[in-house]
Formats: sequence, C-alpha cells, structure tokens
Amino acid sequence: MTLLAVSLDAITNVNFWISVGVIAGTYAVVALGLQINTGFTGIVNFGQAAFMAIGAYTMAILVLKAGFSFWLSLPCAVLAAMLFGVIIGLPSLRLRADYFAIVTIALAEVVRLFAQNARGLTGGNEGLFCNADDPSNCYTNAWRDVSDHINNFVSNFWSDPDSLFPLLLVIWATVAIAIFLLRRLQRTPWGRVLRAIREDEDAALALGKHTLVYKLQSLAISACLGAIAGFFLALNLATIHPLDFEPLVTFFAYSVLILGGLGSYRGVAVGAVLFWFVLEGTRFIDLPDPPFTETRIAAIRLAITGLLLIGLMAFRPQGLFGKREEMVLGE
Amino acid sequence: MNDAPGNGAPLLDVEGVVKRFGGIRAVNGATLSVRQGGITALIGPNGAGKTTLFNVLTGFYKGDEGSVTFRGEQILGEPSYEIAQKGMVRTFQITKALAAMPVIDNMMLAAPDQPGELLRNVIFRPRASMAREEEVRKEAMELLGLFNLRDLADAYAGTLSGGQRKLLELARALMASPKLLLLDEPMAGINPTLGRRLLDYLQGLRRELGVTVLFIEHDMEVVMNHSDRVIVMAEGRVIADGEPHEVRKDKRVIDAYLGDVAGEPTATAEAGE
Repeated sequence: MTLLAVSLDAITNVNFWISVGVIAGTYAVVALGLQINTGFTGIVNFGQAAFMAIGAYTMAILVLKAGFSFWLSLPCAVLAAMLFGVIIGLPSLRLRADYFAIVTIALAEVVRLFAQNARGLTGGNEGLFCNADDPSNCYTNAWRDVSDHINNFVSNFWSDPDSLFPLLLVIWATVAIAIFLLRRLQRTPWGRVLRAIREDEDAALALGKHTLVYKLQSLAISACLGAIAGFFLALNLATIHPLDFEPLVTFFAYSVLILGGLGSYRGVAVGAVLFWFVLEGTRFIDLPDPPFTETRIAAIRLAITGLLLIGLMAFRPQGLFGKREEMVLGE
Repeated sequence: MNDAPGNGAPLLDVEGVVKRFGGIRAVNGATLSVRQGGITALIGPNGAGKTTLFNVLTGFYKGDEGSVTFRGEQILGEPSYEIAQKGMVRTFQITKALAAMPVIDNMMLAAPDQPGELLRNVIFRPRASMAREEEVRKEAMELLGLFNLRDLADAYAGTLSGGQRKLLELARALMASPKLLLLDEPMAGINPTLGRRLLDYLQGLRRELGVTVLFIEHDMEVVMNHSDRVIVMAEGRVIADGEPHEVRKDKRVIDAYLGDVAGEPTATAEAGE
C-alpha cells in the first residue's frame, strides 16, 4: 500500500489548472491593492474583502435591478468602492496602523453582514443570481459575448478551448497592466511620499506632506483593485454570495502578499500563482481512505500550505521578491 | 529687545503659549521672538518645555493658549504640513531618517514645488514632474556633498551611523528651503569637528540665503560661540532672552541652568507647580 501517492490523471487536467489560474489571478489583483497599502504606504488594510463585495454587488445590482448595461456598471461599481474607501478612511486613517487594521476588519464584516441581511437588495444567503424569468438581463451576458469571441479566435490554435480560458486571459492581462502602472506610479515623486509615510509619518509631515491625502489615495487605489477582483469573482462563479467575502479572503490575499514579498508588485503575481498552485495541488495527494477521510485531507491540505509558508518565512522572511534590507531597516 | 546681529523684523512671534498635558503645564506662557536672519539658541534644563514648545510651534501638538505669528501670519493650531509648507521646517531630537529609503530619496523627498507629488500631475503632467526631478536631484547631490554624504547617496539611510543620520536630517531640512529652521539638539551625537563645520555652514546659510535658525542645544560652548541670541526656558516659561554674554551673567539663568554646568546642584530640577 502506498501511503503517499499522487494521481497523475488529474494533475494533467488542463481545465482544472485553468480554474486555479483564474482564482490565482483574482487573488493577485486583490493582493496588489494590499501591496500598495501595506507594502508601500504602511497602512495595514484588513478590509479588502469589503471592496471586493462592494464592487461585485454594486455591479450586479446596477445591472439586475437598475437596468444598467454591464459595461456602464463596471466604472460605477469601481467608483462606489473607491468612495467607500475614502469615507471609511477619513476617520480611521487618523488612527495608528494597528487600530486602523482592526477598524478595517470590522468594516469588512459589516459590509458582509449587510449583504447577508439586506435580502431585497442582495438576495441574502441565497446569493445574487441572474433573473431566471428574464435571462436577457444578466451581468454575465455581456461577458459571455466577449468570452465567445475570444474562444472563437482561440479555437484556431486549440480545438476545444476551456470555457474559463478567456477569463483567465483577461484576468492576467489585468494583473500585468496593473503591475506595469503601479510600478510606474511607485517611481514618481508621489510614490516617494508614500514610502516616506511608511517609514515615518511624522518626518513626512515635518517636510510639508499632507499625509492623510496620500493615505486616502492609497486606500482608494486599493479599493479600485478590490472592486475589479470582485468582478472577476462574480464572472467566475456566475453568482455572488456573502460567503465569498469572508475575512478569510483577505487573509489568503495577505498570504499571497507575504509569499511574494512586501514592497514588490511582481512578487504579488508570483506569490499568487505559488500559493494557489500549492493549495490546489495538494488536492492530488492521495491517501488511503481509512484513516484519511475527506475532511481530514482538507485539513491536511491547509496544513501543508501553512508549513510551506512557515518554511519560507524561516529561510526567506522577506518573501520571494522582497528586499531583505528594507525589511530589516524598516524597524 | 537687544541689538543683536540679525536685528531684522521679527520672523516668529510667540505670545503666552500654553500647552497642558492633563494637570501639567509643559509650556506655561512662553513668550519669545525670533528675528529674521539670526541664529538663536534655546536652552534650559531638562523638562523646561523646549521640545514641547517646538512641537507646538510646528503643529505637532495643539497649543492650548497663546498666539504664534510666523511671517506675519497667525499659525497656532494649523496642521504641521501647512506650517512646514510656509517655511518653518524642523528636525527631531531622535532622528527620523527614513531608514528603508536611500539617502538620495530622503533628500529629494524634501524638495518643495515638486508637481509630481500630486497624483493628478503624475497622470496628466508627467513631463513637468520629471524635469523638476532632475533639478531636485542635482540640488540634493550638492547638499550631500557639503555634508560629506555624497558617496552614501545610494545607501539605505538606515545603514548610516547615528551622526551621519543627524547630518542627513539637517541636510534634508535644508533641502526644503526653509525660512526658519528649528533644530532639536542638532549637535548631539556628531563628532566635534563635523559639528563645527555644520555650524559654519549654518552661519554661511544665514549670510547668503537669510535662513534663520532656532536651535535647542545643551553644549554651552556651542551656544555661547555660535549663536547671536540665547533664549533660556525653565518650567515652561522664558526666563531670559539676550546676547550670549548677557545671558551668561544673568542671575536667574545661573540659578536655573548654568549652575548645573558648574557642578552646583540647584533646586530648579523639580517639575511644574
């Protein structure tokens, strides 16, 4: 009896890995927002799931209940998330970093519980579906047209492309564009002020920088990325449910961030791929059923991922792409 | 009051400033004025309220009473970044080098009038930002040269020695083109030779650019030889104000402060009322 066997059939299943790539890309977008907050501004935002929720719900509600077109609903939902970020940031960003972290996690839960209970608006615990009576009015329709176009083109090279493949392309293109823009922003004088705030807010104030404005901008950019990730989640799952926005989402995104390294946008992309390929790859570890029941294996998978993170922290505390000097000197 | 060098119009007028922490009046009605173009020392025993006064002047603490007029404008209660933008730039007693940033970035951060610090300019006027950035870099390198830090421009500020950090913080404050420089113990931790150069440099700045300096210092030799005026604080108030040779002879000052230097313990170390 082999104790630890890996089933090869499933590992070579392309469709499975495409769906993992979609999740990894979504988390890369989420964690890019955390990077600009935590890695470059020194504000520890634990409420990223709220921005995802606001992005996804606003988009879907505008399409389903207000008759907006899908394409118009996207910028509106991004603006809603950014506005929410500024409104909660105005009072809470005056707090010290750790108190701000506590406030954001609480606000994220408030948003999620609101979504759970405002059933008329959000569908509550049943989730927000498209209307079965009126299938012409659904936020996934516009996307499906685009998706079909992409796959028509892809079928020139790949006879039967996976239905999620276009989403994978769009998500990772978004990640690439976001990284390109964020890296450029970081090299400007504006980005320098953000880093100065991370290092010592009083020093930045003494040099005439209105630090609150910069922190609000950082949070708003993060909210924008969170909302975009929310769209991807909604398109991937074709339904929006409060459980998709639990604090665990933010914690997973932080794992991605730490794995990739604080202070590196490219690290976020690599960290996201690594984290999700390890977490999902452990599905293929085949253990004999008694004593390893399914629930036990699920726990073991998380434990393996956790061990990997701990191992990385022990040998490379700055993450894959982080700069060790910046981490040590930052204290 | 006195015919000190740098007897221009008052640049900074402080009237009856009070700062309370609970029942303690850390600054208890301090009144002083700093004239254009002078180097003024602020001395006093530990707990006299010197640093607290600095914090009130620069907006890091909200003053409870009194008025502060800087360049003809009432500034008490304004936020610290606005006061800095008006030209009152401070350094800190415990240096605040931005450790995980290179020395050159520390310097360039301080430059005023960088349009690229506003997000909208970064997006809509990237050229203006980049052009200014070149000027700023040149200026920063020149200043670093003056402070013997040019070779360290690309090093992380956190790798500098304590004295070098102190110099960096001063250079950074100068980079902000201040009208009034508030230095909280600038000489502490710097070797004496370098300290003297620094003072010579400050005196040169005053002559050439009209920068006015107010500095807290405990080294009496520095205070007596390098300042035009000396203001003495004790228990939250200003107890003497004049030229160094006058202040040195002032009975209250000797009791409150200089007596300590001579090794005679005095009764003024006790706090508040």
